[in-house]
Amino acid sequence: MRFAVCVKHAVDESELKIDSSGKPQLEGAQARMGTFDKNAVEEALRLRTALGGEVVAITVGRAEARKSLKEALAMGADKGVHVLADPGTLDSSRTSELLAAAIAKTGPFDLVICSEGSSDTYTGLVPPMVAERVRFPYVGYVRKLEVAAQTVKAERSLEERLESVESSLPSVVSVVSEINEPRYPTLIQIMQASKKPVEELTPQQLGIGDVQASVRTVSMTAQAMNRKRVVLEGSPDEAASKLIDALASEGVIPK
Amino acid sequence: MSEVWAFSESVAVANEIVSAAREVAAACSGQAVVVEIGRERSSVSSLGKKLVIKGPDLTDESPEMAAGALYLAARDAKPAVILVGATRNGKEVGSRLAVKLGIGCIPDLSRVSGDREMLVGERGEYAGKVMTKLSSRLPCVAAIKVGAYPAFSGSGGEVLAKDVGVVARSSKIEAVKKKEASTVDLRAAKVIVSVGRGVKKKEDLEMMGGLAKALGGTLGCSRPLASDLGWLPEECHIGLTGISVKPELYLAVGISGQLQHVAGIKDSKVIAAINSDKDAPIFQAADYGIVGDLYQVVPAIQKVLSSRHR
Repeated sequence: MRFAVCVKHAVDESELKIDSSGKPQLEGAQARMGTFDKNAVEEALRLRTALGGEVVAITVGRAEARKSLKEALAMGADKGVHVLADPGTLDSSRTSELLAAAIAKTGPFDLVICSEGSSDTYTGLVPPMVAERVRFPYVGYVRKLEVAAQTVKAERSLEERLESVESSLPSVVSVVSEINEPRYPTLIQIMQASKKPVEELTPQQLGIGDVQASVRTVSMTAQAMNRKRVVLEGSPDEAASKLIDALASEGVIPK
Repeated sequence: MSEVWAFSESVAVANEIVSAAREVAAACSGQAVVVEIGRERSSVSSLGKKLVIKGPDLTDESPEMAAGALYLAARDAKPAVILVGATRNGKEVGSRLAVKLGIGCIPDLSRVSGDREMLVGERGEYAGKVMTKLSSRLPCVAAIKVGAYPAFSGSGGEVLAKDVGVVARSSKIEAVKKKEASTVDLRAAKVIVSVGRGVKKKEDLEMMGGLAKALGGTLGCSRPLASDLGWLPEECHIGLTGISVKPELYLAVGISGQLQHVAGIKDSKVIAAINSDKDAPIFQAADYGIVGDLYQVVPAIQKVLSSRHR
């Protein structure tokens, strides 16, 4: 079976710096494969072990997004596909268009696996958009996945309920992070990742012209954390007493 | 007059989306229309106009069908804006619909406004570190964050039905199981005691539950306790990939305070934290902090509470 995994080269939110004017410094910010994308790669590798076949990691991004593909390759993916585009000019719709075209060009695939969302912007729109474009059935927010010769059986985790869903192959799925524990690549795997093949594709090669994104970023501002940050000192009894007094005077617990 | 549609498969969320749609409609001189799929739910507000999309076996339980039905109805009615609730299924509906209509979809907004030409909204990104303002030319689809708007209630509007014929679906739901706990309880809770890795054993959750009860609150947790350890149901997981809460009091016990967790609690009125590590990031996100062993501090708090109640 052939598995495609969509990964995003995402800015590491914990390393994101805010400049003196309160703007996030995205340019040159530290980035790596999205945290939850690792669960998608892990699930593809698990399925490959069970069913045999090939795992292809696909990303859309600038030259440096190659790093994220390498992370997927180090984890065990067989091949990378890099669609060269500036994510700053893309919205979810445009990104899904490029991914769908890359899936069609480098396919056929039996299963396309995405994470529930990227760790940077966490919109979760791209996976169902890809499904809509490639016209495969879609099963989102999967926490348990079984794949057989023709079918996908999945347990979806929704807000109030779990749904057992069946669909046919080929399908697109998005997985939630509790589905598995992603493996850490070994040093040797990291070194070998550089030798694995990566196919570079431009939007033109995918037959996609220069269309402006519908959704645009107007501004980005750092969210101030206006918290009091009062540390209550003393023995556990003293501190507990101070805390209850403080909460009562805030009016959040009865006086 | 241009229409602003409001849809959510969840009744509770649908009424919030109606509030958002009324605001957007006022801003773009349009009319808010409540859209329902398959059947009319009387608990969903109907002040103004309500459109019930019908078809054979049509149900809003399948996001694929909901998107298909909305597409067929929107193709004819040409609404200026379609707002959906950003539930897990709702986001699928919005994404699919936007692709079908060839228009933009703005992801889960906590605030939305606009004019006759544009829809503008704000959302937290980078685990809540950044507030991003996004815009799209009309027509467009936008998903509204659950809990961002108050639920609207009203009745007495005109109800129209529209038959769209057969809508296809490619997957089938074999079984449905209700989750153990309800996220609704945590979203509505005034006081939340939330526990993290600092809790050493599952048995100790009883003590934490006791503290929550003494404070009149509900027990929540950070991701590891639900996803990795499975000590509490997944529905109790508060944070970026879990649920967002906004209680009057959020008391974090033994939670280090990773960005992903803090993203889900930012809107709390007061945040208090107990952690043995004085450098834990949770103290940066808290109003009141106690650096100490939770196994000493929690009983001490309970002692204070019971002496006050006497």
